[in-house]
Amino acid sequence: MTASRPTSDAPIVSVRDLQMIFPTPGGQTVALQDANLQIMPGEFISLIGPSGCGKTTLLRLMADLIQPTGGELLVNGGTPRKARENRAYGYVFQAPALMEWRNVLNNVKLPLDVMNTPKAERDSRAREMLKLVGLEKFERSYPWQLSGGMQQRVSIARALAFDPPLLFMDEPFGALDEITRENLNLELLRLWRETGKTVVFVTHSISEAVFLSTRVVVMTARPGKIEGIVDIGLPHPRSDDSREDPRFFEYATQIRELLKKGHS
Amino acid sequence: MTQGSMQIAALPVRSGFGLPLLLLSAAGLLGLSVLLAGQAAPALAWPWLLGVVALLLVGAVGIRQSAQGESRTARILPAAATLILAVLAAEAILRAYAVPTGLIPAPSKVAQSLWAARTVLLQDAYYTFVLEALLGFVVGTLAGLGLALLAVRFRILERGVLPYAALLSSVPIVALAPVVIKAAGLGWPSKTIIVAITVLFPVVINAVRGLQSAQPMHLDLMHSYAASPAQIFREVRWPSALPFIFTALRVSSTLALINAIVAEFFGTEGHGLGFRIQIEVGRFGLDIVWAAIVVASVIGISFYLFISALERFVLRRN
Amino acid sequence: MTAAPANLPRPARRPSNLLPMLGVALAALLLYWPLMLWANSGQAARSLASGADLGCTTALACATQLRNPVIPAPGQFATGFTSLSVPPLAPTSAPYNALVTGGETLLGLALASVLGLVLATLLVRSRSFERATLPWLVASQTVPIVALAPMLAVLLGQYGVQGFLPKAIIAAYIAFFPIAIGMAQGLRSPDPLQLDLMRTYRASPAQVFGLLQVPASLPYLFTSLKVAATAALVGSIVAEISTISFSGLGKMLAENSRASDTVALWVIMIYGAALGIVLVALIGGLERLVTRWRPPA
Ligand SMILES: Nc1ncnc2c1ncn2[C@@H]1O[C@H](COP(=O)(O)OP(=O)(O)O)[C@@H](O)[C@H]1O
Ligand SMILES: [Mg+2]
Repeated sequence: MTASRPTSDAPIVSVRDLQMIFPTPGGQTVALQDANLQIMPGEFISLIGPSGCGKTTLLRLMADLIQPTGGELLVNGGTPRKARENRAYGYVFQAPALMEWRNVLNNVKLPLDVMNTPKAERDSRAREMLKLVGLEKFERSYPWQLSGGMQQRVSIARALAFDPPLLFMDEPFGALDEITRENLNLELLRLWRETGKTVVFVTHSISEAVFLSTRVVVMTARPGKIEGIVDIGLPHPRSDDSREDPRFFEYATQIRELLKKGHS
Repeated sequence: MTQGSMQIAALPVRSGFGLPLLLLSAAGLLGLSVLLAGQAAPALAWPWLLGVVALLLVGAVGIRQSAQGESRTARILPAAATLILAVLAAEAILRAYAVPTGLIPAPSKVAQSLWAARTVLLQDAYYTFVLEALLGFVVGTLAGLGLALLAVRFRILERGVLPYAALLSSVPIVALAPVVIKAAGLGWPSKTIIVAITVLFPVVINAVRGLQSAQPMHLDLMHSYAASPAQIFREVRWPSALPFIFTALRVSSTLALINAIVAEFFGTEGHGLGFRIQIEVGRFGLDIVWAAIVVASVIGISFYLFISALERFVLRRN
Repeated sequence: MTAAPANLPRPARRPSNLLPMLGVALAALLLYWPLMLWANSGQAARSLASGADLGCTTALACATQLRNPVIPAPGQFATGFTSLSVPPLAPTSAPYNALVTGGETLLGLALASVLGLVLATLLVRSRSFERATLPWLVASQTVPIVALAPMLAVLLGQYGVQGFLPKAIIAAYIAFFPIAIGMAQGLRSPDPLQLDLMRTYRASPAQVFGLLQVPASLPYLFTSLKVAATAALVGSIVAEISTISFSGLGKMLAENSRASDTVALWVIMIYGAALGIVLVALIGGLERLVTRWRPPA
């Protein structure tokens, strides 16, 4: 693991009264308001909520892809900008966003190329990651030759390649079918357990959120705000059996109630 | 891209300075030209050049500032200013160095010649544009559409003809022109034929591609309604082909005029913009050459804009 | 975008076009004979009426014997081809001159690509520059810039630029605009997510350019190169005609046009057509080589 990981008592992400207002042609859009959230190292946090409630916005704020209009945000013990410049997080987008001209191996190597990792390390590191996501047989393939699920796995391997302590994932499995999705969920949990990274995961799906997370952050729209946070007490390691656990349904109901509350 | 524009946007300058700077630059350049008009040729050219460069720099800053923001002026003014300043600067420099008209004519000289030779040039334009480019464009388009319909109707024809069309579209028209002109004579029809041939290929290729671009689901839907072939064509195939056909027409509209002019280099009965350009280059009447090019450019851009407008109109209705 | 649908099967191979193409070629050959007789008989009749001795009696019989036929007969084609092609590297032979013209055009395309890349970079980097120049670049596409070629040729001659170079410069100047616009489009083609991705890596502007924008623009470069190639070829041939040239297809066209040698003009036309096709095919081959990562069409 990376040495730069903060001590486990301090939150790795700290959100205080965060606000994001976009100027729009007809005035302003309040995408996020009064958001408060502390994420501890090693947690698996899901953000769930209807479209337009500010999930992507919150993630992009943490990733320093946009700057907040108010409030305080600390990532990895410093500003988001410092976290980005220290390459403290890997970002998995909603679409795989692979480079069509690079084969699978070279796509995973992209961050290592950008970060000038010693040449000798790049190949072995990228191969290791491909093995982690089960694509070692496809390292010579080009993106168009892969299915959507495989492409998304490549993009996860790419995000992990430089071993960031944090992983931001924005609806990474949103476009996939249920079966592929559940398989990838299992794989993701295994990865999380094995690497001990902190994951912030955006999803639309209640069952996905319950199955994966240590805590689920429920958000509601107009203006985007955090409606409540649900601790998921299901034991780890989880498997398909966890879905049958009565508590699974309790948590799902709890989340659904929170979502409805914001809707009324 | 974002990087560059963000840095510029971050400069602490007010865009209100843009217009005054542009006016200053334009007035300065104009002033230099007027001063230079008084004397035959200045003893020293470089101080004038220095002046022009300095004024152009002022103009560049003005352009940069007037390009800020998303207003209509910010979109149009920079381009207009660039053209005006470039013409004015060329005028001043050509005068400062007393470049002979036979080598590079000053813009003012071109404007004068354009006015003086307007009847001849308009007549040339009539031959080149109306009789050759436009007629050839229409003939080539109609022939291309007919061929495309046949090719789509008879698959065997598509597979036999389309590869040739693709191949022949990379043939330079200069190779074609002498032979056609020898065969069809020096009059304007030979050029019309050449234009028609060059328009034909892009239209055939794109029209076939477009006619086949109909979505299978839409076709299935029509079949489920037991629609007749004519109905399917009218409701599905033709509308989905239109965008492709218009792409070809836009490309061809520029090719038509260009190719008419080039074809004229290979023989005419003494009419046409291409003929004018060729003959005047030979006798160093470059002011007329430029005037002819200005005329051709205005026609070319207008024709292109017309086809684009037609495209928008037709595609909106469909 | 790479959101490919799940495991698409390879596109089914279409049946070969060879047979239908041969059929069309055959039909064209069959049409050629009557067309040639019809096109030439008028002139033959006129020659006969004026009392010329062509060694034949009827217009139809003479149609294949004219000295300057509208459409040459097969025999005339054969002799024309051999006399213009053998030996292939003699200064008067068409293959040699096609090579010269092809070389000028390729050099011009290379020059234009370098210039196009520079201009495209400026266009993409600076919005003011884009707003000031892009409308004119686009307009230049609709303007017969090739009409400037004869003048440019004369002008370059005046300043002592001679031989191979002025033609390459003119070819470059014609090819330059489509390439610059295509490249600018290509440099802008990466999707926002890819740009965001590079940002999360703290990539330098040079890295974004080299690792993302340039590779993404390659398909656009080749598309515009193919368009530019034909235009550039026209440019170098027109330049050859407009200057005192000692080689090149343009020079041959000018000479034979003056001498009214129609058989030679036909032969040169076929060489010119072949040259255009070969140039585009060369670029297509280079494209496949460079962009191997793309799915087969
Ligand atoms: N760049 C932007 N400019 C203007 N409005 C934006 C921008 N990004 C997001 N928004 C608005 O902010 C709100 C939240 O968007 P987002 O975070 O993408 O929602 P989610 O990811 O939860 O679906 C939406 O109303 C959206 O329209
Ligand atoms: Mg979102």
